[in-house]
Amino acid sequence: MSNSDPPVVLIVEDEPDVAETYKLWLEGDYEVRMAQNGDEGLELLDETVDVVLLDRMMPGLSGDEVLSRIRERELGCRVAMVTAVEPDFDILEMGFDAYLSKPIRSEQLHDTVSNLLERSEYDSLLQDYYALVEKQATLEATKSNAELADSEEYAALKAEVAEMREGLSDTLGGIEDDDDFIATLRGLSNGEEN
Amino acid sequence: MAKRTEVTEDMYDLSSVLDFDALSEVRPGSSILISGPAMTGKQRLAYDILADGAREGDGTVVVTTSDDATDVVADFRERVPELEESQLGVVDCRREGGSDSSSVDGAYVHQVSSPGDLTGIGIGITKTLEGLHNSGRDRGRLALISLSTMLTYTDKKTVFKFCHVLSSRLDAADYIGVFTIDSGAHDQQTIQVIKQAFDGLIEVRDAEGGGRESRVLGLAGEPTDWKRI
Repeated sequence: MSNSDPPVVLIVEDEPDVAETYKLWLEGDYEVRMAQNGDEGLELLDETVDVVLLDRMMPGLSGDEVLSRIRERELGCRVAMVTAVEPDFDILEMGFDAYLSKPIRSEQLHDTVSNLLERSEYDSLLQDYYALVEKQATLEATKSNAELADSEEYAALKAEVAEMREGLSDTLGGIEDDDDFIATLRGLSNGEEN
Repeated sequence: MAKRTEVTEDMYDLSSVLDFDALSEVRPGSSILISGPAMTGKQRLAYDILADGAREGDGTVVVTTSDDATDVVADFRERVPELEESQLGVVDCRREGGSDSSSVDGAYVHQVSSPGDLTGIGIGITKTLEGLHNSGRDRGRLALISLSTMLTYTDKKTVFKFCHVLSSRLDAADYIGVFTIDSGAHDQQTIQVIKQAFDGLIEVRDAEGGGRESRVLGLAGEPTDWKRI
């Protein structure tokens, strides 16, 4: 996700009116792509897509099947399930990052998409943080304490690590609730930042 | 002054388990790594810290990669006879072939298919914390035994991130966490990386002439000296 391009949201929804409504709501802030069914959704899906809104009940491939194909392809996108029935915690166990139950309001949709983008940003910050930590650990493992005390590089690195650690917990609010926690862990398991 | 007293009451006092001043006021949300060679009593120390809190009414969560959940529950029942219903949760990561939730002797048990299934472990922890919270326990202690086993299932980068994310979750819950690692089973760089995911470190080693000794780093003030335990 670069600064100039808006994030990409892919809507997979078989009812054209519903899909069009979501698009109207989102297109001011995001690049919106639309697919009418699961197969088309998988075709339109590539590494540029940040968030997928996936209707659960569709003719042809079901939302659950589409999800498992997405995970198999190890794309870094976040997937929100859109469902007509009130879901419970098991939805997260199924592998979705968030869920929305119909009817959806505009504000709700915006909140969900921006929260999922924040998760992705958190992941990439965590990745940057790890890279610094690894560098620091390499110095610590290879140099003596006296050498470390004299090293400006080491001092700067330590300061940077401390700052990033703060940043991770502050800027994005850290891990605020269970959904964030699970979605972030799922990101690690999906290996999307490799 | 009233405020200071209040803050002190919220702190976790681990010094009755391990006699260091640096452990007498551990801030809620802290995660501590217990590091040492094999057979130096790291797991026992972690369980002692949990049992001590359980006697005071703290919620207790054990994430284990090596013990049977039933044994963990029996062990805690023996250590803490006053342990109440739904005060203990165990996430057992050795169940091959699927995840499952059940109740064992009044404790909540969640089974996860493998120590490498981080999402599954996270869901187990979430459900356990939710259960403890619903039964009115808004503080508690979590132990993860052991990171060394997790490191054989997944790489150090993933384990580091997992520890960081779990620490954030514990912070939000005002819990403390203790995590064990076998310092002899990994290279120096791996240990240094994993250490960075924690607020503090308790090191344990065999003392000269028998017995064990320990020191505390990173929680309050300078690293302590080695002290026989």
